[in-house]
Amino acid sequence: MSFIATPSQSPMKNSIKVERAIKGITQEELARLVSVSRQTINAMELNKYVPSTVLALKIARVFEKPLEQIFSLEEND
Amino acid sequence: MKPYLMLPYKYKKIGWIIFIPATLFSIMLLLSGFGDFEINTKVFAIYSQELMGETQWMKMVQTNISNTIAGLGFIIGALLIAFSREQKEDEFIAQLRLSSLQWAVLLNYVLLLLSFLLIYGMGFLNVMLYNMFTVIILFIVRFNYVLYRHTKSISDEK
Repeated sequence: MSFIATPSQSPMKNSIKVERAIKGITQEELARLVSVSRQTINAMELNKYVPSTVLALKIARVFEKPLEQIFSLEEND
Repeated sequence: MKPYLMLPYKYKKIGWIIFIPATLFSIMLLLSGFGDFEINTKVFAIYSQELMGETQWMKMVQTNISNTIAGLGFIIGALLIAFSREQKEDEFIAQLRLSSLQWAVLLNYVLLLLSFLLIYGMGFLNVMLYNMFTVIILFIVRFNYVLYRHTKSISDEK
């Protein structure tokens, strides 16, 4: 019943949490920098939400890294 | 990304202020069998037909408007709650909102389907009565539940 629950298997993984630790900012601060809610940052870190291209680009800009270094496809997708 | 068809966040509170008394009033009407709390007044009706009464078109009619008040309050309140932005509305919240709406419509029709199968005669009038309001109620409950779950998973996360 994947349309009822949030899909547990995300087609994409990301290293937002790691990048956040390197930069030393909290979820709250990252949320403010890319102007989304804290729920959104958390859901992405838990691989429960795949961000839009716009949001992904904004996050890459905050961490000053290319997109592919933060976001990548799951192997079996 | 600006969500369209959405009201500013402050309307949510106004929605609850209208919704709660309207719901209490509706429950009182239901429990009293619509007999008490009569508010009789003249109103304009495009179409009116009293039980065993005459049919009237485009006329001022004398009638009990307690149902009207309860229904209007309930629907206006629920719409304000359902269609106001969250404090921080973004693409993820918008996705939760849409999937909750899909979930609510589906569940509503599953329940209606079961009612068609299992409820007969005059009892079905009750089904029709409740079904007027269930989609928006299911949506509000579902959306706030998934939002709560995601907010809760933040506090688990350190």
